[in-house]
Amino acid sequence: MSVSINKVEENKTERLKEIVNHLVQPMGKSGIGFKIWIAFLSILAIAALAMYIKQIQEGLSVTAMRDIASWGIYISNFVFLVAVSLVGSLITAILKLNKIKWATSLTRISEIIAVAAVIFALIIIVVDMGRPERLLNIFMYGRLQSPIVWDIIVVNTYLVISLLLLYLPLIPDLALLRKYKTDVPKWQSELYRILSLGWQGTDEQYKILKKSINILMVLIIPVAFAIHTVTSWLFASTLRPGWDSTIFGPYFIAGAFMVGAAAVVVAMYIFRVKYNYQCYLTDYHFNMMGKLLVLTSLIYLYFNVNEFMVPFYKMKTAESSHIKGLFSGEFSMMFWMVQILGMIIPIILLLFKKFRKPKPMMIIAVIVVIGAFFKRYLIVTPTLLHPFLPVQNYPESYHHYVPSFEEWTITLGSIAGVLLIISVFVKIFPIIPIWEVAHEEGIDNDILNK
Amino acid sequence: MKLILFLIFIIVIVLKSQAQWTIPADASQKINNVEITPKSLTVGKSIFNKMCQSCHGKKADGMGLMKSASLIADSLQLQKDGVIFYKIATGKDQMPPFQSILKEEEIWAVINYLRILVNPDSVPPAKNVKLILSGTGKGNQRKVTAMVMEKGDSAYIMQPDVDIHFYIKREFGLMRFGNDYNYTGSSGKVSAMFPTGIIGDKEGVVTIYAKIEDSFMFTETTDSIVQKWGKPIVVNNEAFDERSLWASRDKAPVWLLLVANGIILFVWLFIILVIVNIFRIKKLSKLFIK
Ligand code: HEC
Repeated sequence: MSVSINKVEENKTERLKEIVNHLVQPMGKSGIGFKIWIAFLSILAIAALAMYIKQIQEGLSVTAMRDIASWGIYISNFVFLVAVSLVGSLITAILKLNKIKWATSLTRISEIIAVAAVIFALIIIVVDMGRPERLLNIFMYGRLQSPIVWDIIVVNTYLVISLLLLYLPLIPDLALLRKYKTDVPKWQSELYRILSLGWQGTDEQYKILKKSINILMVLIIPVAFAIHTVTSWLFASTLRPGWDSTIFGPYFIAGAFMVGAAAVVVAMYIFRVKYNYQCYLTDYHFNMMGKLLVLTSLIYLYFNVNEFMVPFYKMKTAESSHIKGLFSGEFSMMFWMVQILGMIIPIILLLFKKFRKPKPMMIIAVIVVIGAFFKRYLIVTPTLLHPFLPVQNYPESYHHYVPSFEEWTITLGSIAGVLLIISVFVKIFPIIPIWEVAHEEGIDNDILNK
Repeated sequence: MKLILFLIFIIVIVLKSQAQWTIPADASQKINNVEITPKSLTVGKSIFNKMCQSCHGKKADGMGLMKSASLIADSLQLQKDGVIFYKIATGKDQMPPFQSILKEEEIWAVINYLRILVNPDSVPPAKNVKLILSGTGKGNQRKVTAMVMEKGDSAYIMQPDVDIHFYIKREFGLMRFGNDYNYTGSSGKVSAMFPTGIIGDKEGVVTIYAKIEDSFMFTETTDSIVQKWGKPIVVNNEAFDERSLWASRDKAPVWLLLVANGIILFVWLFIILVIVNIFRIKKLSKLFIK
């Protein structure tokens, strides 16, 4: 009897070693492909930095933003990054609280995406400021009546919660890393030591850890809703055609879940192929994520119909020139590409099981993400180009907005920055939560602690 | 069949809107019956500045807020008056039709003005005159009178037939009042009623201008008077002294303070709880090792 128990235990220990090796082994190695990737991202980021220095020297006139379009691609990028970051709450909180098993191996992927995106959302806001050295004035003189101040509070709060939600589930893994990954530079093992808090895996520690994670999971949902609702209020609380809408909050959140889910699919595919994680990111995971993506897209489609159908039917004077600009005017090409390629076709395709396989889904998800970026652009700029008060004596160029080279470089650089954070993170930390996978396979704490 | 007719109809419309001007044959026969006089040129100039300049540009070179046609190029100047008249009257695409906005003689006056623009030496040079503005009357019957005179050899000579523009200074510019045209009479004087209900500064003081503008006979001249003719402005700062959404930061509404700070406190309380838990975990590890 005791022999068989020992045997089972031995098997489990073996299995744990296997899991750890599989999940930890790709971390250290960095092939030539990875180095090129990092170099590429760094070049983009440095170019963006150079352009930003230029912008500081010459002022915002290096952008294409003028009196009429005073928000441009920076702010659309901010909305995009905030939207992407919402996926952290969707997968780590909403799915996990619903006890959906397959979400376990996706939690850390989605959480690091959330953290990286939110960090750059904050940075891009400062980039959009003409006098960044006056940043502190917002905290010193900001009025609590202003949605911009709400946004600052809520985005920072979300960043803190996301960081905690990334860090806490990492603690037991860090203890495992200290044990199993010894071939690392000194600073890295030191990092593991400090961050792991000397984790021993006692029952009480697990109890505190799980309780804390539970608190955060519940807390992050309202905060996530708040961050994107308040972001939408930056627009909706003004009397502008195209922004003056009561459903802007849910409209933004639905869109955010859609682009976030798509971003996770892309990341899943890359880790699956590059790290051979076929057994953690299975076809089943992709199938389920595909269904989730269809669901979120359908909700978003529903809000889109609302958002355009009602003003289209009424065609109030100011709205009508906005709607015409989108449907058949200056922005129609981009608008219909975004709506059809970025939303309707993905929904139709993903209804078929054939397309919910990893590769086709990855391609669809990339298109959805790109579409989502331009969708944010379409929300921000066309409205600004249709001011309520008639404008006179402006140069012709003020009536159009085409982002300048500097703006594009900085925007691309910020996205490169997001990818850089994620790429570096996965080199230092396991992207699949080891202990949670182990628990799911029935490997208990005693074995983990050994 | 119907479909084909419809398509042809559409094509015709599309082609028509792209095409050149279609000018009826008899248009060029139309005779310009407005003489080129300083007076008619002044009318033409002020109409141009008011209605055409925005698109055709200050110099009528087609470089206004939008790209339009140059009106000083040969391409226009070589056209017959009647053709130009037809174009202004009926318009095309972006060029609005003016037949119901301007009187016939006004269109002719603008055309005369366009002719003079490329040939400025054909009119005598503008003269300097003296303009004096005065105000009289009370209550609803206040009026301003402008007097124009030219310095003669021994005495001032009154100038009839000068168009005067009257303005009241407002916060961001000048507000015109009086008639469209205010020509001085034989005594060199013209009057305009001061409108009622004008708001002045805190004492009700307003500044009134008389100007000779856009004239071909006289150089630009201005005179002004200051009168206590307006209603005193009432500045209402009370709205900003109360707690409200638009007040300063120390006057945020109480409900907002309660709700917003309540939410912030609630959320951060839990965040702090979690951070405390992190330290508890750390402490437990130390205990375990001991
Ligand atoms: C809303 C802008 C706009 C305003 C206001 C406007 N125009 Fe035009 N105008 C145009 C445009 C655009 C064209 C060129 C039309 C075309 O060729 O399709 C044009 C053409 C013309 C032409 C014909 C030019 C040619 O080469 O044959 C004349 C003459 C003319 N305008 C006179 C006037 C006058 C006089 C006024 C004022 C009473 C005026 N326009 C006001 C936009 C305007």
